[in-house]
Amino acid sequence: MNVSITIDGKKIDCDFSKTVIQVAQENGTSIPHFCWHPSLSVSGNCRMCLVDVGMPKRNREGQIEVDANGNPITQFMPKLAIACSTQVADGMVVETKSDKIINAREAVMEFILINHPLDCPICDEAGECKLQDYAYKHSVGESRFEFEKVQKPKRVAIGKNVMLDNERCIMCSRCIRFCDEIVKEPSLVFSERGDNVTLTTFPGTSLDNSYSMNTIDLCPVGALTSKDFRFKARVWDMSFTDSICVGCSRGCNTTVGVRNNEILRLTPRLNENVNSYWMCDDGRLNTFEFVNKNRIKQPMIKRDGKFSECEWDEAISKTISELKRFSPSEILVIGSPFATNEDNFLLKKFAKQVLKTENICFFNHIVEGNKDELLILEDKTPNSFALKEFGFGNGNNFLQMISEKKIRAVYLLEDNIATDETIVNLLSNVDFIVTHSPNLNATTQIASVVFSSSTYAEKNGTLTNFEGRVQRIRPSVATLEHDRALDGFAMSRLDQFGAHNDRWTKGEKRDARSSWKIILNVANGFGAKWKYNTAEDVFKEICLNVKSFENMSYAKISNKGLLLKKMEMYV
Amino acid sequence: MIKKQIRKNDLNFFQRTYITEIFKGLSLTFRKIFQKKFTRQYPEEKWNPPISFRGRPVLVQEKNGTERCVACMLCARVCPALAIEIQADETFEYSKERYPKKFEINMLRCIFCGFCEEVCPEEAIVMSQEFELVFSSQDEAIFGKDKLLIPKEKLQNRLEFLRQYR
Amino acid sequence: MFEVFIESVLKIIIFFTVLISSSAYLVLLERKICAYVQDRIGPNRVGFKGLLQPLADLLKLVTKEDIVPKNANKFIHHLSPIISVAIAFSTMAVIPVGDTIEIFGKEIKLQIADVNIGILYILSLTSISVYGIALSGWSSNNKYSLLGGLRSSAQMISYEISMGLAIIGVVMTAGSLELDEIVKSQAGFKWNIFLQPIGFIVFLVASFAETNRTPFDLPEAEPELVGGYHTEYSGLKFGLFFLAEYTNMIIASAIIVTLYFGGWQIPFGENFISSSVVLSITQIFSFLIKVGLMLFFFILVRWTVPRFRYDQLMNVGWKIMFPLSLLNILITGIFYFLF
Repeated sequence: MNVSITIDGKKIDCDFSKTVIQVAQENGTSIPHFCWHPSLSVSGNCRMCLVDVGMPKRNREGQIEVDANGNPITQFMPKLAIACSTQVADGMVVETKSDKIINAREAVMEFILINHPLDCPICDEAGECKLQDYAYKHSVGESRFEFEKVQKPKRVAIGKNVMLDNERCIMCSRCIRFCDEIVKEPSLVFSERGDNVTLTTFPGTSLDNSYSMNTIDLCPVGALTSKDFRFKARVWDMSFTDSICVGCSRGCNTTVGVRNNEILRLTPRLNENVNSYWMCDDGRLNTFEFVNKNRIKQPMIKRDGKFSECEWDEAISKTISELKRFSPSEILVIGSPFATNEDNFLLKKFAKQVLKTENICFFNHIVEGNKDELLILEDKTPNSFALKEFGFGNGNNFLQMISEKKIRAVYLLEDNIATDETIVNLLSNVDFIVTHSPNLNATTQIASVVFSSSTYAEKNGTLTNFEGRVQRIRPSVATLEHDRALDGFAMSRLDQFGAHNDRWTKGEKRDARSSWKIILNVANGFGAKWKYNTAEDVFKEICLNVKSFENMSYAKISNKGLLLKKMEMYV
Repeated sequence: MIKKQIRKNDLNFFQRTYITEIFKGLSLTFRKIFQKKFTRQYPEEKWNPPISFRGRPVLVQEKNGTERCVACMLCARVCPALAIEIQADETFEYSKERYPKKFEINMLRCIFCGFCEEVCPEEAIVMSQEFELVFSSQDEAIFGKDKLLIPKEKLQNRLEFLRQYR
Repeated sequence: MFEVFIESVLKIIIFFTVLISSSAYLVLLERKICAYVQDRIGPNRVGFKGLLQPLADLLKLVTKEDIVPKNANKFIHHLSPIISVAIAFSTMAVIPVGDTIEIFGKEIKLQIADVNIGILYILSLTSISVYGIALSGWSSNNKYSLLGGLRSSAQMISYEISMGLAIIGVVMTAGSLELDEIVKSQAGFKWNIFLQPIGFIVFLVASFAETNRTPFDLPEAEPELVGGYHTEYSGLKFGLFFLAEYTNMIIASAIIVTLYFGGWQIPFGENFISSSVVLSITQIFSFLIKVGLMLFFFILVRWTVPRFRYDQLMNVGWKIMFPLSLLNILITGIFYFLF
């Protein structure tokens, strides 16, 4: 049922089940709030979203009274109401900007700040702190409180990933509600009373659920901060790039925070269709370490059992000369569910048109039982859906052929398949293994040629998640093939104004290339005359050749993703 | 008071030759020759800057040998020349949580504006009286904590001066 | 004949040494006066009160790298500073610094060459000196240098005319082209500055222009031409230009003194000093003092008067100085015609 309300003189038609703050938000009027969150239940304890609510005045007969001009007279409630728990009603009039409300907000801010410590200089939240922002926007900037502030425990590790500073807490209860309602593992609670209220875990427990770090994003102040990111950098020194988590096939939307060409943190990015506001701790903490560390800095060739770094041309010509030794049926091409659609598509085209082999497969990485109701999925790769879509076979079917020594050469895309003894033993039957890899791992150890390829944080491309949603990744860390400014990277202040002699611009740049580019070079080395300048060119070809990708484009995918046509009916 | 502007057309022929003006100028420069000179024989004759002088920025070192700085990075943020680079880290010693693991000022970038001193919430970075800075390479011009930390007693004057304006 | 040769060579050596060292010290003098005018002290580190500064400058100039720009005409690039210096020094040949002096019973003229067309010699040499600057500007293959060279030639041509015409007045009063005669004709207080005031002003302004001194230093205007014709010169070749500039200044002062301030004449000096040797020496000093004062004036003007704009330069040259010099000839002519 639709009702019509007026917010700041603007008439709005909306659903009657909504609250004032929702309607205002949807229609471009932002009402300041701390405890309200779109995904959580209404708590209404911060009192920041006070608005003046009124209804048309009615006489004893129930008729709406009008003034001399024929306009209905509004009768406001005697006191201000909180917008987050006031449901809209037909004819309701809401004021959000009057002096009365501004005074009320200033009073609420002063009240909240009474016991909030002046910790901003040492607080990680500074710069993205709601309280800090509102102190500028909605506060008078002075306090009349002249007594000692309440002392509460600081630096409490309430979970393995989360630090709590109780003095900074403004008791909005967002974190408590998150644990109760979203994770459904209640673990936080307020204890004590009055100004001594403290946030604590249940006795003998700690905040250790798989989503605990979302409370850090939820916390409007710096009470809950990340142990991992603790004191690493100021938010204003980082650049932020929209990306996708590669931890599992959910494909949670993330924002990558980079400073000095190094990823310092990942935070979830709102996408109602995929991950809402959340992401799991695992994805948040374990999917950027390999971008920063343990990298292969340059292509490598194995000579007499030892790797030596070499130039790209050398590695490419070596690969070509080696592969030419084998007949097409002896070559196995293994795609990677960690690589992008573009990389895998070009790999398949390379296998079919250049190597002329039918042996094309990929390996799944499924961890049985490691899943939950919210986000985490068993399939730990971000792009396995697309490989099935492109027609890559199951890798396990080819293990037999390897053991029978029918396969003598393997072309492997960024995948660490040599995870256990049996596969390592099997692969020892293969004469020549070439692999793309960003990191040193067990598979690169047994390869003959290793191309240093870019990670998801260093290239453009698309990933297809478990339900067939194609999502974009963008480079945030520069390799030697990039220039931050020219290639349209997100630029922090430091990136923009750094000079060659500044130490804060000397973050390491690796000599890595996107996998599709390496495949392109190898294929052209075989005599193919392929011309792709960007990942987008490859994607355009995917859209022309793979039926389910029809009519897609980077522009349409944007930063919210696009569902494959055939999958639309399932969602 | 604005002087009336004199234009060429207002002058008579003799004035237009400017001869008197030239001789007035010559007499002025000639008289200047015999006036007192202001040159300071610098390396021998040192200058003691006033307390309001903004010399190179330094970090205040407390009696226990640590810096006052808590690595809030406000100075780095406010620095118009981006001269300051800080890496914060956690400490469990002393009363503070946070300290600068690395604090570097690139003296080639520093413009001695004193914004860092003004913005510092801990009175941890102050402008000293030192103005004689010599380096022989770009790397040498980047001062780390070893060069920046100055004991508090030596900076007492400046700290007191700053307190007047709080 | 041999004696004349020895005499000339000795005179040349003495004149040259005195001129080159005084040029060097003129630089110091200029820097000192500049500093004093600007409430500073000036160079005072090298030697006593900075007196060895010219030596330090020389050392610096000699040890500096000699840079020749790519695509420059190397031969002319090398030649032009030499032209400038050579001409500056050659002019000194005809200037009398004193009357004849008797040494060891021999009468020696204090003038290297007593040429009977001394003034024409000076005029012709000053015309040639523009080559040094114009060629250096062209050969440097640099737009600033070229502009400087062009400005210089335009300036020299413009002011040479007024200069020549101003001299005609002097020649008319003296009745001779010989410089010695001109000096002698100014005996007593019959200095040409009193007889030829208009001519003097024209000649003075023209000599400023000819020596490229402020307010006529457009060829080397630092703010706009970054040094003008000598932008691309370094080391000793730059030093030669520098030397030529200051030598020119001395020569110009000497010529002005010779033509308008009675040269080596001491007004009524013969009346007080009986000994001819003492008189001769006093006359030399008289000449040197007059030149020194003139140089001081040159320097003072540089630190007082700002540079002309190019259009002003041309206006002054053609619309004021040229008519004035003609007027001067006319007045002188009428005067001599009537009396």
